[in-house]
Amino acid sequence: MSGFNSSLLTILVFLPAAWALAGLLIPVKMGGSAPLKYWALAGSLVTFFLSIFLYVQFSPHGEEFQWLETASWIPSLGISYSVGIDGISLWLVMLTTFLMPIAILGSFKAVDHREKEYYFLLLALETGMLGAFVSLDLFLFYVFWEVMLIPMYFLVGIWGGKERIYAAMKFFLYTMVGSLLMLVAIFYLAYQHKVQLGSYSTLILDLYKLHIPGAGYFGAQSLLFLAFSLAFAIKVPLFPLHTWLPDAHVQAPTAGSVILAAVLLKMGGYGFLRIAFPLFPQAVSLYQVPFMTLGAIAIIYGALVATVQPDIKKLVAYSSVSHMGYVILGLFSLNQIGVTGSIYQMLNHGISTGALFLLVGMIYERRHTREISAFGGITRVMPLFAVAFMIVTLSSVALPGTNGFVGEFLILLGSWNTNRILASVAALGVVLGAVYMLWMFQRVMFGPITHEENKKLHDLSLREVLVLAPLVIAIFVMGIFPNLFFEKMDPSVQRFLNRSSAGITSQPNSASQTSYAQGNNHGSS
Amino acid sequence: MEVLKTIRPELLTLSQEQLNCLLPYFTVFGGTCLSIVLSVWGGLKPKWPVFLVTSLTCIIAMFLGSSSGDGTSHTLFNGMMVADAYSQFFNVIFLGAALFTIFSSFRYLDDEKLQHPEYYVLVMFAALGMMLMASALDLIVIFIALELMSLSVYILVGFRRNDRKSNEAAMKYFILGSAASAVLLYGSALIYGATGSTEIRSVLKFLQEHPQSLNPIFGLGFALVLFGFLFKVASVPFHMWMPDVYEGAPVPVTGFMTTGLKAAAFATFVRILATMGYGNGISAAIQNHLHDVLWVSCALTMLLGNFIALTQVNLKRMLAYSSIAHTGYLLLGILSGTRSELGFAPGVMYILVYAAMNLGAFVILTLLAAEGDSKLNLHDLSGVARRHPWLAFAMSVFLLSMAGIPPTAGFAAKYLVFYSAIQANEIPLAVIGVLSSAVSVYYYLRVLVYMYMKDPVGSPPVLRISLWSGLAVAAMILITIQVGVLPERMIDLAKRAVLSL
Repeated sequence: MSGFNSSLLTILVFLPAAWALAGLLIPVKMGGSAPLKYWALAGSLVTFFLSIFLYVQFSPHGEEFQWLETASWIPSLGISYSVGIDGISLWLVMLTTFLMPIAILGSFKAVDHREKEYYFLLLALETGMLGAFVSLDLFLFYVFWEVMLIPMYFLVGIWGGKERIYAAMKFFLYTMVGSLLMLVAIFYLAYQHKVQLGSYSTLILDLYKLHIPGAGYFGAQSLLFLAFSLAFAIKVPLFPLHTWLPDAHVQAPTAGSVILAAVLLKMGGYGFLRIAFPLFPQAVSLYQVPFMTLGAIAIIYGALVATVQPDIKKLVAYSSVSHMGYVILGLFSLNQIGVTGSIYQMLNHGISTGALFLLVGMIYERRHTREISAFGGITRVMPLFAVAFMIVTLSSVALPGTNGFVGEFLILLGSWNTNRILASVAALGVVLGAVYMLWMFQRVMFGPITHEENKKLHDLSLREVLVLAPLVIAIFVMGIFPNLFFEKMDPSVQRFLNRSSAGITSQPNSASQTSYAQGNNHGSS
Repeated sequence: MEVLKTIRPELLTLSQEQLNCLLPYFTVFGGTCLSIVLSVWGGLKPKWPVFLVTSLTCIIAMFLGSSSGDGTSHTLFNGMMVADAYSQFFNVIFLGAALFTIFSSFRYLDDEKLQHPEYYVLVMFAALGMMLMASALDLIVIFIALELMSLSVYILVGFRRNDRKSNEAAMKYFILGSAASAVLLYGSALIYGATGSTEIRSVLKFLQEHPQSLNPIFGLGFALVLFGFLFKVASVPFHMWMPDVYEGAPVPVTGFMTTGLKAAAFATFVRILATMGYGNGISAAIQNHLHDVLWVSCALTMLLGNFIALTQVNLKRMLAYSSIAHTGYLLLGILSGTRSELGFAPGVMYILVYAAMNLGAFVILTLLAAEGDSKLNLHDLSGVARRHPWLAFAMSVFLLSMAGIPPTAGFAAKYLVFYSAIQANEIPLAVIGVLSSAVSVYYYLRVLVYMYMKDPVGSPPVLRISLWSGLAVAAMILITIQVGVLPERMIDLAKRAVLSL
């Protein structure tokens, strides 16, 4: 059992891919695609149960990284296979494994051709995502980061909507440009490690020890920070690099949108947390205000654009831009409250936006349109759907008692301590969020039924209830018992802040930063 | 003249070790001669015997070549040739390229009604020329080996002799190639005039002993040799011949050219640069000139290759331009080789990886090609994945590898090359490189779009995949993925090869 436990992360990461490979052997002709679907579902459920082990056994006050495994991989370049989780990646791993079965169950009906490849790619994607969240070696991280792209590219490109090829290509190229510059930065860091400490290493923990030269807006440290930030900001996506997102989201099949919104976007935020901030503290303090400004712009811009969308899915896509703006705002506020809120908001966004995409997908399967104007009065014919939609909508507009409230409140509080103007602007976004979500909800669900087709819509099936129920439960659990989450997160957040504000304290001559440093002293939530 | 005086009788006979070193060369030569005999043997249908003999020769020579060496380098023929880890490393590449070209041509030649035994013989002679090139230490030997290789390939390019495109390509290649060879030879002559020797090591020794003799004649000679090689590797601005030749040549020959020919030219180029003391031997002025010339050529090659490839709809042409782009990455590896700890190892490893993935892609193109090498446009690939999922998968692996996406060999090799560029402080060039390789992702992915995401036009023809081509593809996939996941062994091999220079 100890052997199992010590390599639990490796098993967790590679199980979905191995499961997917085994699934290729299932003959499709025999008994249709049903065995295939249940096989994939079973694989994702087993992965989820394995990750529950992690949650139960993770001790927040233990070592920084638990289930740490390190093995030499390419010794001549100091590259190793190193995985481990802390209180931050634990939650993102849980989010991934939690959403995967839901995404798979949610596509049972929606995907009706080339199912074998579809479920194969979904499970392969899970391996890529989990790998990126647990890797503690920059090279390994980069490998998983790129490997993730390929399944997503095919998911959008094969099973997507009308403009799927354009969207898939755009998604791939955007991410690729960002990540290639990140690759150059990784080379530079590995070489710096050799220069400063005498040996090659790409282990993230080793790289934390480096003193990267070059203060100033275009010093070496800042350039490296920008190279990483570009990759992560494209993934988040941060305004003005968000334009791939509406295309990819709208064109992707439902499960693709769910995974894209819920997990892939988190990869950007996680990259900032794990790599960009702790490695380049001085650059972070320099670029704090510009990035917070972009975050605030994203919040307002995303909300405004979402308001005028005629297509529900596009509306949800732009709401993602707005919600992820909060994440950036919270991260760059660099205090315990803001960062905790940010991580929480990442989880929230995964749950709520994932649920929204599923709901949109369900109604699309019935009506084959997503135009808001094609609906109206749906509440009368689909009461169960209406309840679920209502709860998720309220979570998205951050009603107290739901998960969204906790995250946004903490972020606004945290950023208030750092920059009051931007926090006030962001607070405006909360109002706008209520406007676009509730207005959409009203037009789709209430009023008289204006379209004949809508009268015959049938309510949620048992399968669809099973898809939505865990998400609705998660919304309430996260909204009412946030401490369940914070207690595992706090020590890691504290460590993160110690590293990320190291630059501020070691730079006594820049007086403007002292106020931010004080922000860190505020107690934990 | 000094050289002649130093010849001693014992150097004219071969010791046992030297013979061992030469065994792979003799094997290839013997096997090739045997195939010539078999192809004119009365009453014998030459197809199978020649195919088997040439394939077996390649395998045996590969085995001999990789097992014979004891890690030390042996100078042969009074310093005209050397057998070391470096030449061993490349011999395996050349023989592998020849072997898999033969495998993939077998069915192709039947289909195109070109099944003549000369084809295999020429491939073998070209491989022998390449092997000699990589182990030559004398400018004259290099020239002879180069001509042995080039003449064979000129004929192979024009092998579809009833096809105008093929003839045009052969003619173009012949004329331009001869001009380049002449330039190279003229350069060698000038170097001989300036230093009194054609042997690379003696040239370096002479220069170190008489630094004042670095006169314009030597500079001109060196520049001409350099340009000759830049032509052979098809780097910008000496790339004009390449797309037309690649498009006109029969598909498997194109595959052979992009792998074997390019590897041979690079192998010799690196050996000359390293032995001539690029990095530590010759004066700083020449060093800087050389660096500047290569810098400009490298940047242009990466940019131009990738941007022109974007607009190509014919797969052969697209891969030709992508081949130019990869030349750029190789030049980057060579350029930074002198100032990074890994030396030329990243460049050398890139050659091997590029050979593997590109050969794989061309084997698949050979399978896809309809009569007269037509049907190689992007839209002809529509829906290939439905009918031939494994073929499409293999093609995707090769293309993703060329695009440098992990976990493929292309990524590992690119990683090393850019890594050594950063070490050598060539940061602007590395940034140009990664950005242009981001551009390349587009055209590689476009092939995937057609294979997987478009519906087939009409009913796609069912391809007959021969056992031999299947073997070739499987071997290349194995290398591409194995090196991608566990590159350490290959890095070691490349390092050892480079150390022996």
